[in-house]
Amino acid sequence: MQRRSRQERGAQVMVSKYSVVGQRHPRLDGRQKATGRSEFSDDVYLPGMLHGKIVRSSIPRGRIVNIDTSRAEQLPGVKAVITHKDTGGLMPGPDTVLLCDEMVNYFGDEVAAVAAVDEDTAAEAAELIKVEYEPMTPLFSMKEAMAEGVPPIHNYIEDNCADDISMAFGDVDKAFSESEHIRTDEYVIHPSHSSFAEHHVVVADYSLPEKLTVWTPVQSSAIIQMSLAQNFGLSSSNVRIMNLNTGGAFCGRGSERPHHYIAAILSRKTAKPVKIICTADEEFIIYRGGGKYNFTFKTGVMKDGRLKAIEADLLHDCGPYVETQFIMLRFTGFQLQMLYKVEASKFTGKLVYTNNPPYFFHHGAGLVAMRFAFGAQLDAIAKDLGIDPVEIRLKNAVDKGYTTLSEMHFASCGLKECIQKTVKKSGWKKKHGKLPPYRGIGIGCGVLRAGGKGMFDHDTSAVFIKIDEDGKVSLVTGLPDMGQGSHTAMAIIAAESLGITPEDIKVIAGDTDITPFDAGAISQRGTFTTGNAVKNACSDVKKQLGKTAATEMGVKPSELVFKDGKIFSKGKPEKAILFEDAVYNTLHSSEGRFVMGRGFYNPPTEGVSGGDYKGNPALAYSFGAQIAEVEVDPETGIVKLLNMTVAHDVGRAINPMAVEGQLDGQVFSGMGQTLFEECIMENGRVLNPSLLDYKLPRPFEVPGIEHIIVETNDPYGPFGAKEVGQGPIQCTSQAIANAVSNAIGHHIKELPITPERVLEAIRQKNKNQ
Amino acid sequence: MKRMITLQVNGDTCEVAVEPWHTLLDVLRDQLRLTGTKKSCGIGTCGVCTVIMDGLAILSCLKLAIESQGHDITTIEGLGSADELDPVQQSFIEHGAIQCGFCTPGVIMSARALLDKNPQPSDEDVREALSGTFCRCTGHIKTIEAVKHAAEKQAGAGGTSDGQ
Repeated sequence: MQRRSRQERGAQVMVSKYSVVGQRHPRLDGRQKATGRSEFSDDVYLPGMLHGKIVRSSIPRGRIVNIDTSRAEQLPGVKAVITHKDTGGLMPGPDTVLLCDEMVNYFGDEVAAVAAVDEDTAAEAAELIKVEYEPMTPLFSMKEAMAEGVPPIHNYIEDNCADDISMAFGDVDKAFSESEHIRTDEYVIHPSHSSFAEHHVVVADYSLPEKLTVWTPVQSSAIIQMSLAQNFGLSSSNVRIMNLNTGGAFCGRGSERPHHYIAAILSRKTAKPVKIICTADEEFIIYRGGGKYNFTFKTGVMKDGRLKAIEADLLHDCGPYVETQFIMLRFTGFQLQMLYKVEASKFTGKLVYTNNPPYFFHHGAGLVAMRFAFGAQLDAIAKDLGIDPVEIRLKNAVDKGYTTLSEMHFASCGLKECIQKTVKKSGWKKKHGKLPPYRGIGIGCGVLRAGGKGMFDHDTSAVFIKIDEDGKVSLVTGLPDMGQGSHTAMAIIAAESLGITPEDIKVIAGDTDITPFDAGAISQRGTFTTGNAVKNACSDVKKQLGKTAATEMGVKPSELVFKDGKIFSKGKPEKAILFEDAVYNTLHSSEGRFVMGRGFYNPPTEGVSGGDYKGNPALAYSFGAQIAEVEVDPETGIVKLLNMTVAHDVGRAINPMAVEGQLDGQVFSGMGQTLFEECIMENGRVLNPSLLDYKLPRPFEVPGIEHIIVETNDPYGPFGAKEVGQGPIQCTSQAIANAVSNAIGHHIKELPITPERVLEAIRQKNKNQ
Repeated sequence: MKRMITLQVNGDTCEVAVEPWHTLLDVLRDQLRLTGTKKSCGIGTCGVCTVIMDGLAILSCLKLAIESQGHDITTIEGLGSADELDPVQQSFIEHGAIQCGFCTPGVIMSARALLDKNPQPSDEDVREALSGTFCRCTGHIKTIEAVKHAAEKQAGAGGTSDGQ
């Protein structure tokens, strides 16, 4: 039976370069998800499980005078009530205490928590906890917070400045002095929300003091595991993170949050598992979506459009706790000199503490705001100089082999190709400047790294592959799949490497007791970094199987090719051994070798120096361009996004179907950030905390999308692949905003471009005429 | 005080004790463990918890369990058979209309209810039927495409179209 098809299958080899990579492949877990069988954290029901509820501050700023928990404690069914004194002084962040001790710093700050037999009882108990406050004057605007003499939010940081950086490359003064045209513009981007379908949720089982198990949706099991372990004094291998499925992340689930610690403490106290799930209100109260950004861009150019110098200043409202926003600040600084060739760049950025809710990354790594601002200014400059917006971009676009001022190096780069292809496909030349009134067209471009160092001093992924007696492969990875299709991509990479099909591969993930270390699905690193680790694990497997196959066929192991379910010698494809036979024969050889591959990848880059910010953090960078066409209703101010032409240099499309899915999702999210989504803030509260009032695009609003996949075959990527995780959204806001500016003939400087702002812009324009 | 009620879910008769304020969603998930129906906003804004009741797509978070008695309820677990997926489910898989999968059951149930009533929907019909659902990942692009393909395929299978 094992001999049945060797000969016939031997004849079909070497038709195309890749057998699996580049084919459209439905996701491997599609059947589970389509039938509702996929398990998410809220689907975890454990014996004896309790439900937790968090008591949140009802004022934006004040001193806690007293917390009375007595009535809650007496309510039947309540098993635990905790306040700060029960936390052992735990600090989830350098400026954050777990459950407020003296001060509350935003409307919704965690003050106390309860665990009870069911959700209703927990909610009732939470209501019975009475907190007495001495209110203080809250600081809602960055201007107020930075004013002299205001009482600081944290008494150890007097000026309410959470972080303050300056990053300069090249001779900025010289470049400006040589510039023939200089523009300065200010941009404002209002807070938006991540709005994942799956709310913040955790099930923590800390019943026994030596082991904590946590079920929760995350982008990185490694980060939350490390943080929980450190704060609870456990060894990280005694913190087990179960990341079953993640219901969307969009950059908003990078690390642990207070509810993870609270559930664990409640569980320890009651010796029972505890589930906490956030309500719709809570999702917005603790929302940590993108915060408020105030940008000033000063840019110097030559009359022919060549960029000389870019200087940007960012004031970013980070709420009362800095979280990961300091990373966003640095990413923004680097971006100034990554997309276009410029002689000098300078970035100054400040994170300002306020009593607004704490912010976090939002979809696009916090960079969409910056890209919108600079993209809008570049269009204004093009207009000043009488140059087409496409031409000014092409003139300054970076190329393959370019090294930026901060020494980032682009080993592959499809930026110009992306621009040229979107221009052609969208009919730009026939449309720009020639559309009827209130119709507009705009372009946006972007760049983003594929993984790399900076978040950590490493960028490590490790992968195991085990192959059972029947030749079926289990790929064990710590990389989460939040929906982007990373597990299917990893299976495709393994299938291509081993010459089998993705259906022969089972991806085992989401349990840190089993999976090897992986830094996670952050910084667009999955395909590139974990993908390389998968490839390396496959090489290890091939060595083991190659030894058996080469001996059987009497050839050298170095001559072997793995393809179409067979192993054969390069020169003699007719002489082949089936993959599963090689596995079987290896396992049952006299040496008894169970086939198990180990793969590892940590990009060999030096990273960025802390002092001058110079150095190359990543090996691969992706590029993109998008063109938007809009129609504006001058009566209502409503913008209709008619269509988007979207090109992205992914290096290599491992799975074009998933690439399209990523492009669609990011256009959707980007159009939301540009035209719809805004957390309307008043006195530190989100006034529109529901999907009815926080308007997102729905099916009638989504445009037609033309996908253009550009493949530049990156020398370091697995099969040449880079990223499509958050690169595309970098282009979306600028393209749409520039199209709106083009449609109404007025430079848009504020996001989102709501109907009110469109009408105001039209009024301004008419006034100026 | 809890009271016993009888629900008809996916062709089964289920007896459950519920509080008057328990929603159909609570009962489906917490008591019947039909966890394919997901809970998200809980206030009728996201459509994630959509099930079919007497042929209509409804939000199970806004339906009290006690008022669900005597109605024919279908959840995602009730679609297709042991051997074959519902054409909508199949189409969602084939057309890349599933990403994180959290909203997927709700979107599929909305689409199923549409095709039951209107087997050959227009583009506008499909968009309208999916308007009550919220899908952050796919941006509705491929879900709309998948529903249209499911309709075509279904029409083809029923012999009402010369398509597939």
